[in-house]
Amino acid sequence: MIESQRHSYHLVDPSPWPISGSLGALATTVGGVMYMHSFQGGATLLSLGLIFILYTMFVWWRDVLRESTLEGHHTKVVQLGPRYGSIPFIVSEVMFLFAFFRASSHSSLAPTVEIGGIWPPLGIWVLDPREIPFLNTPILLSSGAAVTWAHHAILAGKEKRAVYALVATVSLALVFTGFQGMEYYQAPFTISDSIYGSTFFLATGFHGFHVIIGTLFLIICGIRQYLGHLTKEHHVGFEAAAWYWHFVDVVRLFLFVSIYWWGGI
Amino acid sequence: MATSLVRSGFLRSALRGSARGSQVPKRNFASSGHHDDAYETAKWEKITYLGIVSCTGLAVYNLSKGHPHFKEPPAYPYLHIRNKEFPWGPDGLFETKHHEEH
Repeated sequence: MIESQRHSYHLVDPSPWPISGSLGALATTVGGVMYMHSFQGGATLLSLGLIFILYTMFVWWRDVLRESTLEGHHTKVVQLGPRYGSIPFIVSEVMFLFAFFRASSHSSLAPTVEIGGIWPPLGIWVLDPREIPFLNTPILLSSGAAVTWAHHAILAGKEKRAVYALVATVSLALVFTGFQGMEYYQAPFTISDSIYGSTFFLATGFHGFHVIIGTLFLIICGIRQYLGHLTKEHHVGFEAAAWYWHFVDVVRLFLFVSIYWWGGI
Repeated sequence: MATSLVRSGFLRSALRGSARGSQVPKRNFASSGHHDDAYETAKWEKITYLGIVSCTGLAVYNLSKGHPHFKEPPAYPYLHIRNKEFPWGPDGLFETKHHEEH
């Protein structure tokens, strides 16, 4: 029976990707536990699980892209869903990272006698915050400026400038990640060197991981901008990426001040 | 197939209607809006270029100093904690120092 649509909403078709993602997560979790406990086949199951999750993410978002951009299902009302959804997602990320800042400040504000009663702990040679850490901060801030440039370029209908802006954004992000990796290799302490090493690598590591996720997100936006998917009126995917990128920027500021600067001297 | 055709037809007419409806306010605000967005685009482009130049200068300065050298710390019990080995070997992901010692 043919029925015409008399509403602005998008009634989605059945999709295999939720169960696919669940199975991938199951394989990743079980594989991870097996790997950590030296069970045979753990590394293989963990790897396959991660690959399966990444595949699910790719094809799921591909479907959303097709529904919105190519099939035109995302009306103004439908666009509110992903926009509103982005907010609690970023808020939950804030809470996640707050835990690491709290752990770090808990240890640094009242250092225990076991580590010499001082912070940084006795025997820990810390990184000079005025070197690579300071350099990385304006790099990420410049990347934030570039994504803002991209946003205004999209709103102004300047398609080519928007692509250039996104290339600049991603390039700066890759430089940041490269310097972060270099810093990790040069670090005179490790993740297992007292509570300082643990909190340092967890906080900077997860921030770095978020930078990598944001970079991938922006690469996808750059490709879509090049293909003409993003328009003046409709660019929700880019908006989510830009919000996420500004969030990563702000976390970097807190990270530099509290962990590198205040906690490192 | 037929449903999707009807749906796309409806959406096309709906979009056309909405476009027609918003045409008047768009025409009223188009010039100033376009100018504002173009101005903001140019402004943030300049800020980005300024950021890139200063980061490049700072990077060249930092890299020219060479990487720092740290002396080995005393063997305190809270340093290099190893309750058990990592599943991939004795060293963490970013360290080779202790492995070199052994």
